[in-house]
Amino acid sequence: MIGKERTERAEGTERMQKAGKRGRAWAVALAAVVRKEVRQTLRDRRVMFLLIVAPLLQTVILGYAVDFDFENVPTLVVDLDRTATSRMHARRLLADHTLQRQPGGASVTTATAELRSGKAAAAIVLPPGLERDVLAERPAEVQVLLDGTDPNRAMVVASAAARYFGETAEDLLRERLARAHVPPPPVIRAEPRALYNPGLETAPFMMPGVMTMLLVITTTIVTAMGLSREREMGTLEQVLVTPIPPLVLLLGKMTPPLVIGCFDVFLVLTAGVWLFGVPVSGPPAVLAAGTLLYLVCTLGIGLLISSVSKTQQQSFLAGFLFIMPAILLSGVMTPVQAMPAWLRMVTYVNPVRYFIEVLRGNLLKGAGFADLWWRLGALGMIGVIILFVATMRLRKRMA
Amino acid sequence: MNAIEAQELTRDFGATRALDGLSFAVPRGQLFGLVGADGAGKTTAIRALAGLIALDGGRALVAGRDVASGGSLVRESLGLVPQQSSLYPDLSVAENLRFFARLFCLPKQDFRERSARLLGITRLEPFAGRRADALSGGMYKKLALACALLHRPEVLLLDEPTVGVDPVSRRELWALLHEFVAEGMTVLLSTPYMDEAERCHRVALVHEGRLLLEGEPGALLDDFARSPACRQTAPSFETLFLARLEQADRERERGDA
Ligand SMILES: Nc1ncnc2c1ncn2[C@@H]1O[C@H](COP(=O)(O)OP(=O)(O)OP(=O)(O)O)[C@@H](O)[C@H]1O
Ligand SMILES: [Mg+2]
Repeated sequence: MIGKERTERAEGTERMQKAGKRGRAWAVALAAVVRKEVRQTLRDRRVMFLLIVAPLLQTVILGYAVDFDFENVPTLVVDLDRTATSRMHARRLLADHTLQRQPGGASVTTATAELRSGKAAAAIVLPPGLERDVLAERPAEVQVLLDGTDPNRAMVVASAAARYFGETAEDLLRERLARAHVPPPPVIRAEPRALYNPGLETAPFMMPGVMTMLLVITTTIVTAMGLSREREMGTLEQVLVTPIPPLVLLLGKMTPPLVIGCFDVFLVLTAGVWLFGVPVSGPPAVLAAGTLLYLVCTLGIGLLISSVSKTQQQSFLAGFLFIMPAILLSGVMTPVQAMPAWLRMVTYVNPVRYFIEVLRGNLLKGAGFADLWWRLGALGMIGVIILFVATMRLRKRMA
Repeated sequence: MNAIEAQELTRDFGATRALDGLSFAVPRGQLFGLVGADGAGKTTAIRALAGLIALDGGRALVAGRDVASGGSLVRESLGLVPQQSSLYPDLSVAENLRFFARLFCLPKQDFRERSARLLGITRLEPFAGRRADALSGGMYKKLALACALLHRPEVLLLDEPTVGVDPVSRRELWALLHEFVAEGMTVLLSTPYMDEAERCHRVALVHEGRLLLEGEPGALLDDFARSPACRQTAPSFETLFLARLEQADRERERGDA
């Protein structure tokens, strides 16, 4: 009895020792893969550019170039009335710099041609007899011609013109009532006050978008191409004939993109705060958790892509095929609420959507775990599922 | 005991049957040559023995263990030099060696001795700092060999190790292989060069995934010299193998008709 027990215990210890030895071997191998990956990354100038310089460039360029606060929209004034009144309206309409007068616009025909050539984006047509009609208190019609190719800009011009002439009409009405000694009717005014981003500036809104897009582009493609590269070079098979399990290779290969992804977030955030005054108002722990979970998703997608493609080129293409719709269906560009219902359904499985919401909520609105927990949970769930499927597929393909 | 056993290996790639019931066995401590024309199935057989591809039929055993289920135990006893490139082109000779040593979890001291010895016998010592993609074809093959030998495998699989290697290096390589075999290693190599058959303990002629001929090179030649198919007094392996391949083609044509 005792003898049997002793051998059982001895066998148990032996098993434990074996497992410990194997664990150590895997740790050594993992460290070797990470070290090799870092060395290769540092050695490859193109990758370094893609990972460090490109994010900075994109931040700066997008921060400065993408500006939805339309100002100085080139506008033609087609003054067919040529009176003091028409000149006054033209001047006042342009006073707040939303619209900027361009030379030209002698007639409606030339204005139309100039809109087509892109010299101007809008034309305000002040009709002949405007002054006469206003003095005679007859209705007048000011035509606003718009270049509708950019709907956002067109809307800005249209509402600026509508606002101005609405106020003018109100003033005229007040004058008329005052002359008749009738008290003016009560007015209901909307008082918009933005709680977050009070200046309604584009840059703080854009910066989370830039981060989201950068991370998905760099980490997904770098991961996908990295594994395809090993396959193309034949090194994958050489690693597979060593005793380490494929999972160790995968883990090792994912470490550098993960670190670089975190670094990129830091980089872009610093640039955003410093150059564009992006607020960092929420708890950083939420930001960190969101970034990490998001990276698990993007790396998992990278692995998944490399499990269906044979070459680096295929991986690259597949990466873009995924990234484009993922970004379009995330709310980075256009609000999710504006999408048709069936597309909105797709956004629920899109990690990009959750991350942009976490970032905007956390950075701009100061939201914490209490507000964002389910989005973080969704990110984590998507990440784990994708990673699981990808490793299963790769293991099957490698074995 | 056999160090390598191929039992009825069968593998299809789509409509192509790359392996068609290929069987052979290599006793421990022997140098075994797989000879065959381009597309005969040599690479597929070696990949199957290394556990890199699944088989549609048959079994591959290395060091007494089934490759499909042996896992890391089989891989520990195996060294592979594939036909195509298998090293990191952007790492140096020394870095490639160190990386693969770590995957085999070689202790530091062990690695230092082993890599010094391998760099010495492959005469890659002066190029230790050179990137793998800057090596000549022959040097590259030798580095691949060194990487496969770091962990002292019981069984070494070499896929066309002498292709693209100059005659001097080729002779050196054969000398090295014989040294390893003398130390107890089992070596299986493939070659498209018929004349290399005589340097092996045993050879097998592979054609369309099947074994056409197998035996000791000397005995095979003697048998051939005595057979009516031989029209020379001192036939070479080339004439022997070509005669056997022609015969196989004739047999197939007859079978088709
Ligand atoms: N991955 C693959 N996909 C499709 N067909 C394959 C694949 N690998 C091998 N084959 C086919 O299997 C057959 C045997 O190929 P194999 O590479 O084993 O030949 P080989 O004897 O090594 O030839 P070589 O001397 O040219 O290297 C060939 O017809 C080849 O086209
Ligand atoms: Mg081959």
